[in-house]
Formats: sequence, structure tokens, C-alpha cells
Amino acid sequence: MDLVVQSLVLGILLGGLYALLAAGLTLYFGVMRVVMIAHSAFLILAAYLAWWFTSTTGLDPLLSLLFTVPLFFVTGVFVQRVLIARLKPATLTMMSVLLTFAIALMIEGMLGFVFSGTQRRIQLPYSGASFEIFGARIAVVKLIAFALAAVALAALYLVLKATRFGQSLRATIQNSEAAALVGIDTKKVAGYGFGVGLATAAVGGTALALDATIYPSLHWHWIGPLMAIIVVGGLGSVPGAAAAAMVLGVSQSLLQIPMGTTWAQTIFYIVLFATLVFRPHGFFGGRLAQRF
Amino acid sequence: MRNASDTTSTRSTDRGDSPVVRVIRGVQILAVIAAAVGVLVFPLTGPGPFILSVGVVILSYACMATGWNFVGGFTGYISLGHAAFTGLGGYAVGLLILRADVPPWVALVLAGLIVAALSVPIGFASLRVRGASFVIMSLALVLIMLLVFQSWSDVTGGSNGLRVPRPFGPEVLRPEQHERFYYLHVALLVIMLVVWWAIDRSRFGAGLKAIREDEDKAQSLGIPTFNYKLSVYVISAFFTALAGGLYALWFGFLDPIFQFSILTGSYMVLMSLLGGIRSLLGPALGAAIVGYAIEFFKAQYGDTQFHLVALGLLLGLVVLFMPEGILPSLGRLVDRLRPSATSIREESAEDLANKNAAAEPRAQDPEETETVLVDDNGRHL
Repeated sequence: MDLVVQSLVLGILLGGLYALLAAGLTLYFGVMRVVMIAHSAFLILAAYLAWWFTSTTGLDPLLSLLFTVPLFFVTGVFVQRVLIARLKPATLTMMSVLLTFAIALMIEGMLGFVFSGTQRRIQLPYSGASFEIFGARIAVVKLIAFALAAVALAALYLVLKATRFGQSLRATIQNSEAAALVGIDTKKVAGYGFGVGLATAAVGGTALALDATIYPSLHWHWIGPLMAIIVVGGLGSVPGAAAAAMVLGVSQSLLQIPMGTTWAQTIFYIVLFATLVFRPHGFFGGRLAQRF
Repeated sequence: MRNASDTTSTRSTDRGDSPVVRVIRGVQILAVIAAAVGVLVFPLTGPGPFILSVGVVILSYACMATGWNFVGGFTGYISLGHAAFTGLGGYAVGLLILRADVPPWVALVLAGLIVAALSVPIGFASLRVRGASFVIMSLALVLIMLLVFQSWSDVTGGSNGLRVPRPFGPEVLRPEQHERFYYLHVALLVIMLVVWWAIDRSRFGAGLKAIREDEDKAQSLGIPTFNYKLSVYVISAFFTALAGGLYALWFGFLDPIFQFSILTGSYMVLMSLLGGIRSLLGPALGAAIVGYAIEFFKAQYGDTQFHLVALGLLLGLVVLFMPEGILPSLGRLVDRLRPSATSIREESAEDLANKNAAAEPRAQDPEETETVLVDDNGRHL
């Protein structure tokens, strides 16, 4: 029983991180109909930057957010305005996948080149600390990572719902032509949407670096589950992505008890296959799924 | 991207009897013959075992890329996960020989058929969606295969790998092996090219190309789009698996990390795109260029991850600046020499008016699809 509670709590903590990252992916897809394969590569890049920041300055990795978040935002705007916008609209979806895939390869290669393929891990004074709740033992770093993801997700939600920028972003996602007609500069909004999406990768990467061992090719282990989450959630819906992330994160964690770590990962792909066979639109009200 | 109607217009100029056209055709045919002879004679020039093995690797890439192009070229569905089929083909060959004592060449054909059978349910699930979702599915396929073949170590050998016995006896030395496999790969490539060519000219191929240009319109014209897509997907899986199986017999060792690698799948895409996915020889040409570049980078930079950066950069540049590939770009360059492209028009005003009328709705195509999308959203809302 303790084991189940433990897995459940760990699953929720993992699901939070998945939810944040899937929200970023949903933003790219929403504003540009672009599936950003490089999202998880940027995630690992941010984790490496956090590790590098801590190992050179000795400060807390959370402080690296002060420069990675703006840096990633600017990079996102750049990627959208300079690279993605160049692609022809008729083949945008396919070609953008290949283009972001190329970016992912370059990031992985550069990370391997600069930091070598050695596995890295941040050592913190509170790395080993943990506490007990309902018989489950939770590491403090995992909780911090979850809190970080939750705060970022809440901030994203507030920006989308309460600000003028968020309103124009949502309008662009819903119908970019109509948004342009009522005077929204959709190109600019799309660029900023990309920037915000990439900023979630910066936050997620720092959260990941807190309690995970990182290596350059780690991003392939993230992109599969994340892609599964956004398809299951129904592409284009942030709440859908968050809900699917939670459900799948918890399922993965619970399935680890009977099946072991490796086989539990297959849950993402099984659910992905099932979703596409039975409900290609996804489960959580994605309205954009069919036409992309 | 060009529209299907463009090809018909260039083809009609081919039939003109102007000497320039004949010269161009002659040069094209000579170039293909020269390339074919070059490929066939290469092992006889005494290149040495290492260079010959590079030749086998490049030919293997050419087989994989051409196999990939059955789906990518005809239907426009970009699969980043075809490494799943090469890997499955390789493992099927290895396991059939080791566990079922099947003779190697029978095992190779059986492996192709098994993978083709497996690709039916896989294709059924993944071809239900288009565009990016399809790419996601294809990536997921490789990742899931990697997981399965690493974890299921009782059967597959897991991360320790699987040693595939050589099909030739011990009396055949390594250079001799390379040479035999070189010609086996050439034979496989020729078979694939003939099949591709036959499909290209058939009604089936026309239907597939209609799917590439506009799937909804193709369906409304009565093409059974799903069956067509699934059929060509299975054909592609079969040939890709044969290429993987042949490679496994040559290389003699299988490791899940390399067999089910996303990199292999992306090599196939890069090669085909670079050469030109709409042309018969495009993927093979792309394989020759990229394959050579990969071997060169590996020799120059060895174990560093720099070859990933080079691959990514190359893929990005091709996608941004040459999404149609080398052969179509060359074709357009040659088209300028053709009579129809001279400054004096040889077409009547009526022809021109028809052409413009045909070109106009085409120019608006992106907006058109965009509007459909909006309509669709509206309905779903």
C-alpha cells in the first residue's frame, strides 16, 4: 500500500513537469501548426545550462532561470520569425517537423561536443533530503521541481487568460485570419507565442536538472512521451495537454510497480496508438487535431 | 512545392522534336548509363576492403532511402521512423537463422514478409492521421521498438546484441564478402527502382500522387485513399526490411541502439529530400552524397558528436532552401535551355490564357486550405 501511495505521489510530481512541457508544445502547435521536435532538446539544453551554472559559480541552479528564461524566450522568437516563417505554408507542417528535428540534432551534437557525453548530475546540499507524507517518502528536490512547474503553469494560465497579449494569443490560436481582421498582429503574436513556449522548456529543464542525471541524448526519452501527451490531449488545447500529462504521468508511475521502469514507458505509446485508432481527435477536446 | 500539373506541362515539352530537347534527353540517358556502369565496375577497380565496405554502406543507405521513398515520395507522408522496419528486418533475419535454423536467404525473404505483415496494423493506426501526427507516430514506433528489443533480452539478446551468422562459408574471405554483398545490394536496389518506376507509371501511382497533392480532393474523386496509402506503406515496409535484413547479414551484429536509431530514420529522410523525393533516382543520389559525407565525418572527427551537428545543419539547409531536392532543381535549370523557355514564346495566346487560368487557383492554394481549416473549426465548435 505504501508503495502505491509512493508511486501515486511521484506520478503526480512527474505529471506536473510533463504538463508544463506539454503546454509549451501546445502553444507552438496552436499558433503555427508546428510540432516542435526540438522542444525536449531545448529542455536538456536548459538542464545543462543549469548544471554548468551551478558547477562554475556554486550558486543554486534555480538562479540560472534568471538568464535562461529570457534567453530561451528570445531564441523562440528568433526561431519562429527567422526559420519557421520562411517555410512555405502548403508544406509547413511536414517541413517544420524536419526543421525542428534538425535543430534538435544540432543541439544534441553541440552538447555532446562541448560538455562530452558524460552523465552529469547537480550536487546540492539538499539533494538527499526527503520527508514523509502518508507513508510516502518524497525527495525535497522533486517537490521543488514540481512547485516550479506548477508556478510556471499557473503563470502561463494567468498570462493566457488575464492579459491582453494572452487574449490575442488565444485569438490567433482559435482563428488566425479572424484575429488578423480585428487588428491583431498575428505574426508578432506567433513569434511571442513561440518564445513563451520555449521559456517553458527553460523552466522545465531547470526543474529536471534538480534531480535527474542528464546526458546529451536524453531528449529522445522525453520527446516520445511528450508527443504522446499532446496527441492524447487533443492538439491545441492547453488544459487537455495538462490533463493528459497528469493521467499518463500517474499511470506510468503506478505501472512501474508491476512492470518495471522500461516496460512502464510503453504505456505512452500504447495509449498513443489506441488514441489514434479510436479517437484521432484526442480525448480532451482538441478541435485542431484532424486538420494538421 | 510544385503541383502535379507542373509535371505534365514539362512532359509535354519533352515530346517536341527540337534538337535541343533530344540532346538533353541524350545527356540524361548517358548520365544514368555512366552512373550505372560506374557502380557496377567500382569493385573491379581494386579499391581495397575498407573503401569497398564504404561502398556497401552507401549502397545499403541507397536501398533504405529508396524503400522509404515508396511512402515519402508517392504520398508525401514523411516517416521519420522507418528505422523501425530496417531494425525489424535485421532482427527477423537474425532470429530466424539462429532460433529456427532457416537458411539465410530464405530467412531474408521471410523477414521481409513478416515485417510487411507487421506493418499492416502499424500502418492502419498511423495512416489514420496526417501531417505532423503521422510523423509523431513514426517516431514513437522507433522508440517503442527500441524499448521492446532492449528489454526483451531472452529473445533478442537485449543490449548485448545479437550475432548473425555469415551466410557464406568460412572459405570466403572478407574482401570477397564485401564484393558479394556489394552486388547483392545493387541487385536489391535495381529491383526496388523497377518497382518504384512501375508504380510511378501506373494508375495506382497516379492515385498516390493525388493523395500527396490534396488528399481530400483525391478522396472526393473516388480514390480509395486509405487502401492506397496502406498498400504503399506495406510495400515500403517490405523493401525497407529487406534492406535492413541484407545489412544485418553483411554486418553480422545487431545492437538495438543502432538498429532502432532515430538517426538512421532521419538519414533516410535527409537523403531522399536532398536527392528529390519525386524522382526515381533522387534517394539513391542523396544516399551517395550523404552516405559519403557521413563516412567522411566519422573518419575525420571520429567519436565526437560533431557529425550530429553536421547532419542537423545539412538537414536544416535542405529543408529551408532546397525542399524539392537536387534532381528537380537540376531539371528546372535544364528546362531553361528548352525551347519553351526562350524569350520568344512558342505558345499561342490561348495556351497562355489557359495556363494562367490554371495557375491562378493554384497560387491561392495555401489560403484555400487555410479557409477549409477555419470552416472545419467552425463546425467542430
